[in-house]
This record gives sequence, structure tokens and C-alpha cells, in this order.
Amino acid sequence: MERPDWAPEGIDLSKASVARAYDYWLGGSHNFAIDREFARQAIAAVPDLRLVARANREFLHRAVRFMIDMGIRQFLDIGSGIPTVGNVHEIAQKVVPDARVVYVDIDSVAVAHSQQILSGNKFATAIQEDLRRPEVILDHPATRALLDLDQPTGLLLASVVHAIPDEDDPYGILNRLRAALCPGSYLAISHVTTDSRPEELGEGARLSGRTTTPVTARTRAQVERFFDGLELIEPGVVWSPLWRPDSPEDVGDHPERMSFYVGVGRTV
Amino acid sequence: MTGHRDAGSPEDRYRHGLDTFARAWAKALHRAHYVPISAAERYRIVRSLAERLVGGLFAEPPDPTAGIGVGKDLVAAGFASPDALGRTIAILNTRLAADLGLPADAAMPIRLTALLEGLAAGFTAAVHDRSLDAQDAVRLAALAAQTRAEQALRANEARFRHLATHDAWTDLPNRTLFVERLDRVLATGPPSRRVGMCCINLDEFATVNDILGHDVGDRLLAATADRLRALAEPAGHLVARFDSDQFAILIEGTTCAEDAVKVADQALNALAEPFHIDNTEIPVTASAGVAERSVGSGDTAELIRATQIALHWAKADGKARWALFAHERSAADAERYRLSAAMPAALRHGEFALAYQPLVDLRDGHIAGVEALARWHHPRLGVLGAGQFIELAEHTGLIVPLGHRLLEQACQQASTWQQDGYGLYVNVNIAVRQLHQTGLVASVAQILDRTGLAPYRLQLEVTEHAVIELTDPIRATLAALVELGVRIVIDDFGTGYANLANLRTLPLRGLKLDGSFTRPAPRIGKPPPPAVRQPDDTAFLATVVALGHTLGLTVTAEGIETASQARRMRAAGCDTGQGWYFGRPASPGEITRRVADERR
Repeated sequence: MERPDWAPEGIDLSKASVARAYDYWLGGSHNFAIDREFARQAIAAVPDLRLVARANREFLHRAVRFMIDMGIRQFLDIGSGIPTVGNVHEIAQKVVPDARVVYVDIDSVAVAHSQQILSGNKFATAIQEDLRRPEVILDHPATRALLDLDQPTGLLLASVVHAIPDEDDPYGILNRLRAALCPGSYLAISHVTTDSRPEELGEGARLSGRTTTPVTARTRAQVERFFDGLELIEPGVVWSPLWRPDSPEDVGDHPERMSFYVGVGRTV
Repeated sequence: MTGHRDAGSPEDRYRHGLDTFARAWAKALHRAHYVPISAAERYRIVRSLAERLVGGLFAEPPDPTAGIGVGKDLVAAGFASPDALGRTIAILNTRLAADLGLPADAAMPIRLTALLEGLAAGFTAAVHDRSLDAQDAVRLAALAAQTRAEQALRANEARFRHLATHDAWTDLPNRTLFVERLDRVLATGPPSRRVGMCCINLDEFATVNDILGHDVGDRLLAATADRLRALAEPAGHLVARFDSDQFAILIEGTTCAEDAVKVADQALNALAEPFHIDNTEIPVTASAGVAERSVGSGDTAELIRATQIALHWAKADGKARWALFAHERSAADAERYRLSAAMPAALRHGEFALAYQPLVDLRDGHIAGVEALARWHHPRLGVLGAGQFIELAEHTGLIVPLGHRLLEQACQQASTWQQDGYGLYVNVNIAVRQLHQTGLVASVAQILDRTGLAPYRLQLEVTEHAVIELTDPIRATLAALVELGVRIVIDDFGTGYANLANLRTLPLRGLKLDGSFTRPAPRIGKPPPPAVRQPDDTAFLATVVALGHTLGLTVTAEGIETASQARRMRAAGCDTGQGWYFGRPASPGEITRRVADERR
């Protein structure tokens, strides 16, 4: 018998959760007073933060639809957060009814909520894990049950890699995740930056320090490094509204104000 | 049937304007959506809502529910943000009439206002409901998360607790759990309640490990655990693995020691059945220490220690058995330990001395020699006889320096008698362990040299046990001693099945017959049936003495306490006698006086 290496953390509702604050920015009500207090302070620092969040969300949806068009039938969505209408499994299963989705989040409330929503959906599930433990995610029984990693997979890392500080080696973590994917898989990343609005976003990142998952903003070059060794899909790493918009009018006048670098890469 | 297209619904009439308006509305709602949808989807939704608005606008009589429905459906479609409502009101106010090319009818703004009123009310009501539902959902999720975290925590605690209280290999409770349970039994029961415990240990486990390997050893332990569990658990006794090959059973609610002994006996029987591991039959025996007593008479540590001591006794008594703890034996053990621990200091402090017991020539009754007997003048216990400490000294090895010291004292004394012209020889006991010392011959030679004692006046008494398994080094040592001129006699002859051939080949001087020849044991129990032949004690004695004489040895009778015993041993042909009848062990001065009296 082995000694358990993991003691579950009790859930701490006295600390703001970025997952639930993100839900608030998107206009959702799946959040608590402590989350809204943080979310409003962040809005005070970045007044159009709701739009920033929505633009990021839109990118995720376009990326999923793109991957479905490319033939992807299974997704691993890490940092999935609070599920809302139009989540990955809804987009995917609308086109391919048995498309598989495994949601992963570190926030136990987000995961519990996801599980409530997904009860009865045998092709989608949610597990509580930490992106910093890629092997545990990949070897998780739920992952093993739903995903066949010998088939191309869509790995979605929307608004989550910036929760990994440099000392936790985000590039190493990404490499370990990518190593598990077979050729022809896709990786989507959206990542906060202070390149365009250093002061406002800098303050927002500073505020995130009081949440359960503080943010590390990165430059375009740093975000591009996450795609090293992948075939970077056009138009490369760009501001979130600029990645394959549905129509020119969706881009808006100042895409750089959306403060997220996004990109999709393909494993070769 | 005739009709005019003009008479169609307002939706039909304003189709073109509706398309234009819906495009503007859809654009206004960009990023006012709760979740993203495609631009085409967005247009499709608002185009249908715009149609319903126009229908409501022209309804006769005016239908206030049209606006409410559209407001609710905007939210249902995901346009639930504050922006969505604000932009919708603005676009309806600024664009609808113009895009549709509505006539400048005074009633129209009133109708539009009513429609907007309904839309705003429907929208906010739907958002309110939606928020409340979401709050319910997130609270339920938090509750579920909390419950799951607590369950996981409890499961983890239980797992840690199990790990901390169980042996990983056999999954039996470990010593910690055993001690906890015993603590509880001792702390909670009425003082008159009784409890028993046995401690079980495999006798040759180390050998199994060494010969068959640790893998087999480990599986033997697991199989042992299974047997003990099968035996004890149905009866409600707690079985634990203490460490390695030591197991313990707790027997609650005993009525007497026999109850605990019974369990130990069953356990030993269960383990006595051969084990089969890897098609190899492994015969095993085990020993058990048992202790049983009332709850009120001591703590957990004492009970466990008692079983361990009893286990030690079972091992010492020959293994494959149980032993029941008894305070008397434990106290004796403790006393022996204390004596043995005190001995080195006693030797340094000169607490050991010799007493001398006369050896009398049975032909004429004169004192021919003495046996030097060790005495310990213990500061607390008084004078201790050799029987009380020599064996301990042999056990610890202290016999070697002690024996040397006593030999020197004895020779010194005999030399004094020699100088005084008394010519006594002195018998000194030599332990087997001393015979094994390579330096023995040299130190005897030195002592003789230093004291000036004639070598033939020193007789070393060697027990019969020493010559049972005569090794070449011992044979050489004895030969070298005889070479020095020292005499060797066999002590306690007749108790150790001495090899007769050895008696013939060794350079011996004499035999000392064991005291049992002098005092034949009384017959115990019923007299035997007449058909059974009784050995004749006297004839047997005569044969043994004759044997000694045939081998050219002197024969000494020990333990003579009465005149009749003295007569009997003399009649049997013994040369020398020793015993209380001739004199107890005495100080050298007393011996000198007696010898002086004899010579007078």
C-alpha cells in the first residue's frame, strides 16, 4: 500500500476565484460576493475588462470550430473555468454528437458546477486538477476513459498559462503536455499581456495576486515560444480579435486593447 | 378568390426594412452576448425577434405581451448583458421607424413606447430569474465541492490512520493500534475485569530468511499473519504484528490465565502445520509468551513487557512452547541480572574469597587435601555460595579473570600450608570456558612459580560435561597441565555420560563421584511390580568405583553427611570422602587448626 501523495485542499470561499470573476466579467451570476469584489476592482483598473474577457471567449470558440473543421473530435480543455452556455462540448457536439471533451480546472467549485451540467453527457466530463501536473491530468481515469491520445486531440489552454509563474516552468509543462499528443493535434493558447496597456493591465495583474491564481503577463515573443516546434496556424500569435474573425466588423477599432495574445499550433 | 398583396401582414409589408433593421441590431449586439455566437447566428436570432416586435407594433388591439416576450427571449438567446438591453432600446428608438419607413402617425410613438416598456420589463425579469438560478447553481456547486473536499479529507485521514496503525506487509494492526486498544481496555474496564495477551515469535525465522531468501521469508510472515488472523478474529481477539516475526494477540475478558494460555496454545498449533511456499514445505515452530491479569494491576507497558519476558523464557526453555509470565520467576531473573551486572565491580573490590572444605582419606580419616570453594562477600546480600554466581560468571565470561584470581589465592594458601609442613593438596574448579583460554597453561605455570606450590599439590577439577565433547585444544591443554605436574580430576562424575574412552586416554588423576551416588534418590510413587528388576544401588556403586580403579584413578565420594554414608562409601572402595560429615567449607585458619590437631 502506498502512502497517498496528495491531500485534498479544503475549498476556500473566503478568497476570490479568477474562474468565478471571469464568469462575472462575461455577465454571468455564477459567482460570490468575494469574487465580484475582486472583479469590480479589476474593472476599475481595466474599464473594458468585460470586453477583453468576451473577446478572449470568442477566440476560444473560433479556435474550437476551426479544430472541428480540421477533423478534431476530442478536446482537452484545461482551465475551463465556470461552464456557461455555448461551452466547448456544446459547440463540438452540435457538429459531431459524440465529440469528446474533458474539462480540467483547479477550482473545485467550477469543477463541481461543470459536473452538474455534464451529468448525463457521456462524452464530456470535468476533473479537478492542476495544469502543473500534466502527467496526472493525462493519466487521470476520466481522461483515459474519454480521450484516445493516439488520435489527434484539441488541447485548449484559454486564459490559463498566465496562471503559471516562470518558476513553475510553464514551457516545460507545455512540452510535457505536447509530448503526449499525436501528430495532427492542435494546441490553442490565449495569454494575457501588458504589451499594449502596461499600466492598466499591470494593475489588473497585481490585483490578481489576491486570488487563488495570480497572473503572470508575458510578451508576444514569450507567448510565441509556447508554439516552438509546432506548425503555427495563420495568422500566428496575434491580438485575440484578429485570429480568424468571422467578419471584419467583429474585429473592432483597437484589437490591441483586448490585451490577449492568442494562437493555434499544430503538432507535426 | 381575389385578394391584394397589400392586404398582407405588416411583417410581409416591411420585409425589406426589417432586414435592414435586423442587420443594424445584430451589429449593435456584438459582444453584448453572454457567450459568443457567430455573426450569422446573431442575425438570425434578432431578425426573428424584430419580426415579432413589428407584429406587436401593429397588433389591434395593442398587445403589451409582445414586448415582454421579446425581452425574455433576448435573454434566453444569451443577449443578457446590460449593454444588450441598452443598445436594443437605443436602436429601436432611433432606427425602427426609419428603417421600416413607418408613417408619421401620432399613435406610433405611443405604441413603440409601450412595446419598449414591455421589452425592458421582460428582459429584466428574465435576467433576474437567470441570476437567481445561476446563484442557486453556483451555491450547489460550492456545496458539492465542499462536501467532496470533506469526504476526500476524511477518506485521506482514514487512509493515513490505517497506514499509521497497520503493518503494510500483512495489513494486520501494528503495535501502535495494539497499544491504543490495550490502553483503552486498561483505562475503561472495572479494575476486576481481566485481560490476557500473548506474544508470538517464529523460532527459526532468521534461518528461513538466510537459507530460502527474504522473499520466502516475507511470504511466510504473510501466511503466518493469515493463520493468526483466522484463528483470533472470529473469537474477537485483536491480532497485531509488532515487528519482523513477532505477533501479538489481545484477549479481552479472560477469567483466568488458562484462557490466555489456551489462545497461545491454539496459535502455536496453527503455526505448527507446515507452510507451503513456492511448492516448498516449510516446517515452522513458534514460541509464545503469555501474561494475564486484572485490568487494575498495571499499565500497558508492563503487560507487554511481561509477555516479552515470558516469550524469552519460552525460547530459553527450548522453543516451540509457550511460557506464562510469573512474578517470582521474573524477580529471580531480575536478581540474577543484577548479580551478574555487579560482578565486575565486585571482582575489582575484592569481594570474592575462598572457603576450603576438607577432603578426607577414607582409610584413616585424616585430612589429605581441601577443595577451594568460591564465596562472594556481597555487601547487601551477605555471603553467596558458588552455586549462586559461578554459572552467571561463566555466562558473562567473567569466570576467566575470576577463576584466575581464585586459582592464585588457592595456590597461595596451599603454599603457606606447604611451608608450614602440612602437605595438603588443594582442589580448584576450572570452568569449561577457562579450558578454552589459550593462556591457561601459562598462567597456571606462573602462579605455581610465584607461589612456590609443588605442582602435584594442585588438583584441577574439571566437570564431566567438559570432557563429553573433548576437542583437541582442550585435550592438549589438559596434557600440558599434566606435563606441569598438575593433577586433573573429573568432577560430578556420573551425571554427564562421560565418554569412557576419554576416561581411558586422558591423563587423569581421579574421579569425584557425584553426590547422588552417596545419597541414592528415594523411590517416588508406588513400588514397581515385582517383575520389574530394581537396580541394586550398592552393586552399581561398586561397579563405578571399580571402573575408576581399573582405569588407575582415585575415587572421591562427595556429599557425605552421615557416618553410615561414610561407611557405605568406604565399603564401596572410595579412596577419599568429602561432605558435611567431614567438615563444612571453612576459613584457612580453621583448616590449619584441624590439621594441626590431627598431627598432634
